[in-house]
Amino acid sequence: MGEAPIVAVLVDFAGHLRRAGIAVGSGEVLTYCQAMATLDPTDLVDLYWAGRSIVVTRREQIPVYDRVFRAFFLNEADDRATPVRTLVRALATTASVLQIPAVDPGPANPEEHQARMGLMASTVDILRDKSFAACTPEELAALRRIMATMRLAPPRRRTRRLRPAARGRTPDPRRTVREMMRRHGELHALRWRARRHRPRRLVLILDVSGSMADYSRALLQFAHSATRATDRVEAFCFGTRLTRVTPALRRRNVDDAMARAAKAVVDWEGGTRIGDCLTAFVRDWGRRGLGRGAIVVICSDGLDRGDPDVLATAVERLSRLCHRIVWVNPHAQPAGRSGRGAGPGYRATTLGMMVVEPYVDLLVAGQDLRGLEELAVRLAELT
Amino acid sequence: MENSAQLAGAESASNVQSVAELTQALRDGGYLADRGLATTLYVGLTLDRPILIEGEVGVGKTEVAKTLASILGRRLIRLQCYEGIDTNQALYEWDYARQMLYIRALSQRELDADDSVEKLFGPRFLLERPLLEAVRAGRQAVLLIDEIDRADDEFEAFLLEVLSDFQITVPEVGTIRAEAPPLVILTSNRTRELHDALKRRCLYHWVDYPDPEREVAIVLTRAPGVSEALTRKVVAAVNRLRSLDLAKPPGVAETIDWVRTLEVLGETDLDARTVSDTLGAVIKERDDLDLARRHLDRIGSGG
Ligand SMILES: Nc1ncnc2c1ncn2[C@@H]1O[C@H](COP(=O)(O)OP(=O)(O)OP(=O)(O)O)[C@@H](O)[C@H]1O
Ligand SMILES: [Mg+2]
Repeated sequence: MGEAPIVAVLVDFAGHLRRAGIAVGSGEVLTYCQAMATLDPTDLVDLYWAGRSIVVTRREQIPVYDRVFRAFFLNEADDRATPVRTLVRALATTASVLQIPAVDPGPANPEEHQARMGLMASTVDILRDKSFAACTPEELAALRRIMATMRLAPPRRRTRRLRPAARGRTPDPRRTVREMMRRHGELHALRWRARRHRPRRLVLILDVSGSMADYSRALLQFAHSATRATDRVEAFCFGTRLTRVTPALRRRNVDDAMARAAKAVVDWEGGTRIGDCLTAFVRDWGRRGLGRGAIVVICSDGLDRGDPDVLATAVERLSRLCHRIVWVNPHAQPAGRSGRGAGPGYRATTLGMMVVEPYVDLLVAGQDLRGLEELAVRLAELT
Repeated sequence: MENSAQLAGAESASNVQSVAELTQALRDGGYLADRGLATTLYVGLTLDRPILIEGEVGVGKTEVAKTLASILGRRLIRLQCYEGIDTNQALYEWDYARQMLYIRALSQRELDADDSVEKLFGPRFLLERPLLEAVRAGRQAVLLIDEIDRADDEFEAFLLEVLSDFQITVPEVGTIRAEAPPLVILTSNRTRELHDALKRRCLYHWVDYPDPEREVAIVLTRAPGVSEALTRKVVAAVNRLRSLDLAKPPGVAETIDWVRTLEVLGETDLDARTVSDTLGAVIKERDDLDLARRHLDRIGSGG
């Protein structure tokens, strides 16, 4: 077997992986070819593991990789060009030795799943004292004036960069020694360095569909005053889709920005797709740096039309990307026991909330001004 | 351990020619790697690529780097990451205590000399930290960057730079470059997602819990002399514990501890009572203990 066929096979395989959503660049294909040159290219197990170690960058991709690998190398019914196919068939004769390791445990058992779905149906009618929603336009305007004076203060983070300081935890040898030389060997005082403090980025992800609109508008008002105070605030709105409203917030007033956002992201029949929208956030914005080390505030009641697994995966990934997740849920019900780290006793009342709760650092109710005040205070306290 | 056997292993391992040879050398060094891990390590070794190992707690991520260093006859240089780690702790620091002593010892004229600053910030007073040490050692070293997920993303970006060209610039001294890069192993418990750029630089391997057969073999390798029958029961019980929704599921180290504890107590079986008496050897978290105690009968019985 010459070199060319295996290269062709791997290039083709990479194409299939790409179509399945795994990013494989030409650099990876090259590495894969180099790796196979030191292994046995006719051994499917070597092909499997070398490819996996080079192409896969996250555990979640393993099942996808497995699926594509199986389809590509073990399924004969396909329409690839003949020379390639011959090789593939030759490879497939060694299929018996290939044992693709078991993928992740399957979904939770069906009964449990059904029980959860049932719960969702019955909680669509959860308590609806929409405090903001019940306000008259004049009352809302008054609330807004009050809110404009409140500050959203995201906690500061220490950065690695050190700056000179009169006192601190880290001695600054360079400055101390230079100073000492200037004073002809006399040590006057030790110089110190301190870490710079920088406010963490605050990212607001607001549900603007249906019943959530009023609450989110209140939060957006928050974001608006915060945006003018610092450039480390980002705002997104979602319904069926996700859109970034940060630039609009800088240019327009809140109502206008929100009305445009709502038009862009809400399909009235589509329902809210929290999982898909958070996935989009992680993929399109979070990874590129927007979410890293940030405090992410999500405002939603957790009524999700999408697949709960998608939501769980999205929030899990978000939780690993950002510093803290704060969930503002105007429909949160105070409860006797407190959820896992989620704050002072609110009970999950929707399937969506149950799914996300383990990843949420702080859960607050935001149904009225007091709720938002609580949010402002607790945000500043978050470390 | 038999020294001669280890030495022989080290000699042959320093130029392993195949995945099978590497697997055997690791085994001789006391580490049982499955085909996937061994292949990834082999490719990393032959193509000079860093290897990122992710997995649950206690599945042998750190240990594999240690064993590799020992079988390859290389020096293990370890950079343990933690929240707030910065470049000083990773790269180099100036030995300012010695610098100050030195200044004091200098005469006035020497102090005024033009090159006194140069001397002060020269190699004599440079304290090497793991990354600089590893760049200097090059091929002679295995660099273990342990628990990278604990460091912040700025540190990660900085690491990416170092891993890209294996050269470090000390402004006062110059640029230090590795002629041949060290073997780099990064581990992560996945408490947060790492940068794609860093991951793209590395080969990636996810370590699962070993299957029961392998875990039994690992215990017998690590704790020679323990009863195999008892080990099987313990491994089965540990697997049942892992299927509970524990905050900290037991790793392989805990399995080993548990078997050892039972051996010390002279237990030969694992029923609800013995489980209850010795559960502390496997489960360290309070909430987890409570949860496990509620399933005592299910955990033990299986033997
Ligand atoms: N495959 C293996 N072969 C031999 N010993 C193993 C293996 N896997 C685990 N062990 C044993 O388990 C112990 C724990 O492994 P190690 O500390 O490397 O785990 P880890 O994955 O680094 O855990 P952590 O996430 O806590 O850092 C090791 O000291 C070793 O005794
Ligand atoms: Mg470790």
